[in-house]
Amino acid sequence: MTSVAPTESDHGHAHGHGDHPPEQYYSSKVEPPILGIYLFLASEAMLFGSFFAAYFFARVAVPHEFWPPINPKTGHQFELPVFLALINTIILVTSSVTVHWAVTSLKRNYRAGLIAGLTLTSLLGLTFLLIQIREYMRIGFSPRDEAFGSTFYGLTGLHGAHVFMGLTFLSFALWRSMKGHYSPKHHVGLELPAIYWHFVDVMWIVVYVMVYVV
Amino acid sequence: MSDATAHTVEHGEHEVGHAPAPPDRRNLLQRPGWVRAVMYGAISFGLATAFVTGLRSLGDLDPIWELDVLLTAWTVVVPLGFLTGLGVFSYWIYWVTGKPTLPDDHSGHGADSWKDYFKVNTDHKVIGVQYLITVFFFFVVGGLMAMFIRAELAEPGTQLIDPNAFNGFTSVHATLMIFLFVVPVFAGLGNYVIPIMIGATDMAFPRLNALSFWMLPIGGLIILSSFLLPGGAFSAGWTNYAPLATQQPDSNLMFQMGVQWAGASSIATALNFLVTIITMRAPGMTFWRMPLLCWANFTTSLLVVLATPFIAGSQFLLMFDRVLHTNFFEVAGGGYVVGYQHIFWFYSHPAVYIMLLPGFGIISEVLSVFARKPIFGYRLMALSLVAILFLGFSVWAHHMFVAGMAPWLRIPMMITTLLIAVPTGIKVFSWLATLWEGKIHFKTPMLWAVGFISMFVIGGLSGIFLGSVPIDQHASDTYFVVAHIHYVLYGGSVFTIFAGVYYWFPKMTGRMYNETLGKAHFWLTFIAFNVTFFAQHWVGLQGMPRRVADYDPVFADWNMVSSIGSFVLGASTLIFLYNMLVSWRSGEPAPSNPWRALTIEWQISSPPSKFNFDEIPQVVGGPYEYGVPGARHVVLNGSRTVETEKPEPATVGAEH
Repeated sequence: MTSVAPTESDHGHAHGHGDHPPEQYYSSKVEPPILGIYLFLASEAMLFGSFFAAYFFARVAVPHEFWPPINPKTGHQFELPVFLALINTIILVTSSVTVHWAVTSLKRNYRAGLIAGLTLTSLLGLTFLLIQIREYMRIGFSPRDEAFGSTFYGLTGLHGAHVFMGLTFLSFALWRSMKGHYSPKHHVGLELPAIYWHFVDVMWIVVYVMVYVV
Repeated sequence: MSDATAHTVEHGEHEVGHAPAPPDRRNLLQRPGWVRAVMYGAISFGLATAFVTGLRSLGDLDPIWELDVLLTAWTVVVPLGFLTGLGVFSYWIYWVTGKPTLPDDHSGHGADSWKDYFKVNTDHKVIGVQYLITVFFFFVVGGLMAMFIRAELAEPGTQLIDPNAFNGFTSVHATLMIFLFVVPVFAGLGNYVIPIMIGATDMAFPRLNALSFWMLPIGGLIILSSFLLPGGAFSAGWTNYAPLATQQPDSNLMFQMGVQWAGASSIATALNFLVTIITMRAPGMTFWRMPLLCWANFTTSLLVVLATPFIAGSQFLLMFDRVLHTNFFEVAGGGYVVGYQHIFWFYSHPAVYIMLLPGFGIISEVLSVFARKPIFGYRLMALSLVAILFLGFSVWAHHMFVAGMAPWLRIPMMITTLLIAVPTGIKVFSWLATLWEGKIHFKTPMLWAVGFISMFVIGGLSGIFLGSVPIDQHASDTYFVVAHIHYVLYGGSVFTIFAGVYYWFPKMTGRMYNETLGKAHFWLTFIAFNVTFFAQHWVGLQGMPRRVADYDPVFADWNMVSSIGSFVLGASTLIFLYNMLVSWRSGEPAPSNPWRALTIEWQISSPPSKFNFDEIPQVVGGPYEYGVPGARHVVLNGSRTVETEKPEPATVGAEH
């Protein structure tokens, strides 16, 4: 098998024919896709930032003791299942560990660990989503109920959408791993979803602390 | 698992391959292209409609046919279907599912006929041209709307268009000019020249680049389609403030969704620029040897990546308030209505710099070349861009001095706003110092550059007025603001765009534009622009409110002057379009370096060959060493030749 490192591509000397580009020079040790996903995640973090901004505006607009506000439909304060969300937090943090295990397993060429890690991560992520759907069904208010409901569903929903996307990418990676793709040296296709998944995890901790705890 | 199979797929990630791909034997409906795109778009339309109405009937929601929900679904799903049909996603779908990706034969590179510009192309030069043509289309459309606005305002009373249509025209005019012209035109120019300027063969992610381009016209068409909806075009202004926006007819959704597509395009391009500039600079091209246009695009891209999600967020929340009846900005439901303005301006103030910084870069290139002098204070020029980047995030609430925000925010925002005058002033004085005792050649790009400096200073000065709380409270929402923004965005950004287009026209097309027509275009625009907008300062300070179709007859005279100026301004654009089209077809062939510039794009043929270089160049010095004996910026083709005068072998057009 030939090496596929970009600096060693076999057409690097085909000058002047116009059919092949000259060998590209890379001025940074960072691989472009890795740098790309970090910039993309910076952008994503700002998207979360705009949703958080709406949440904090709604929150600081009322005096401290009136948050959470009264739900006009029930006459009681809004309540969030803090303990259930804590379990969900633990699940997601665990899944970050398992996806890291999957990537390091591949780097040591331990393919069973790769597949087991990805399977566990996907299952944990799926569990997180199912628990969250269950939470939505039993929580007793909807996105239409006051700014509290809107911002709660807005933030957890935006995060849930990211979990769903992360799960989709992870299952593609799992499927490719089972087909024998990726190698200890070349696995950008695995690293990208893993980095994305860590981001989803970190974002959840911020959402959990800001929305459920504080 | 064998490692051998593990390798095979990864091949696709790198550009390996020799033979051109076999001709696609699939029929038109299966082959990536316009026919499949229209079919997939139509299928997506049907699926979205069925999905929404089906879910609504299952959920017993009344009415089943709810236009705002359907519009949301259509504007998301139909473009996705269309793009899939066009083949924008094909490679990624193969890659992510682990199917063997076609070895890249670079058939997506280069353009041999005009038809290639209507296909998905991964060549940064083709994408640059695609961008430019698309955005100038929207420039003309937005300009025609401005003609309608000025025709209505020529006399007091309402004669030509009714007030609702007037509001629609002002809103769509601003939206198109900002999101479909000034922001993306720099992506187009940057796409063409930045990779060459830093000595790269292409952008870092050519396929993402193609996707970025194709999302742009989609956003523009969605915005334009709002004219076709009941109630007419959205008319809450390009700022689309809640709660006005949520109370508008459903066409307001077209602003919200159109901006999402244009914003996504802008983020993807910015990310691409950043990665390209960080990882793909030629050997020797340190950050302190980069042309200032690269610095400008670098800082702009950082702004785009970090700020644009905020307008995406603001429009998502607005869309939820309308479609899902949430309470993000509904006071009755405990929402904080001014929150919309905070989130919106947290993007839209940095957006002002997104629309200016690349222009600053263009002006630095042009001034230095045509004054035959090194740019004055190169490092400070670069650092002032970075200073504007940071300060730009700290001034957003100066748009809201009279909006009912927390009063204590006013003074800090005023101070940061006025502070921006420092890095901007550094730039202006450095440009003037660059001109000082230079051997100035007043070619068309230089005229635009000098015109830019004078107009931008006027816009900057009225900006200092508006940044000061007491004056802003008087002048807010008057024609003074209209005059200010046009001095900054037309006399500022658009002048830099014209400078850039004339400057790189020979490089892009391989032909010279007509210098006489170029100068006529400049002088006519320059005079007509000032006739149109200068008097608006006065009527504004006297209290003429903006965004209203009718006005007090005391302002009649100056408005007539303004309208006449605007028609001449519109006509001057025709000279430009004529010059561009005719010169592109039959202008005299351009030498590789007509301006005797030092930056890399001028050291290769006009137009550049398919992959820009035969060999990656070696950078040996700064980019602006004009008049410095023996100074060199770049060595092409190894150490074999040191030729700059001898023209490169022409590789115009087809090179198969």
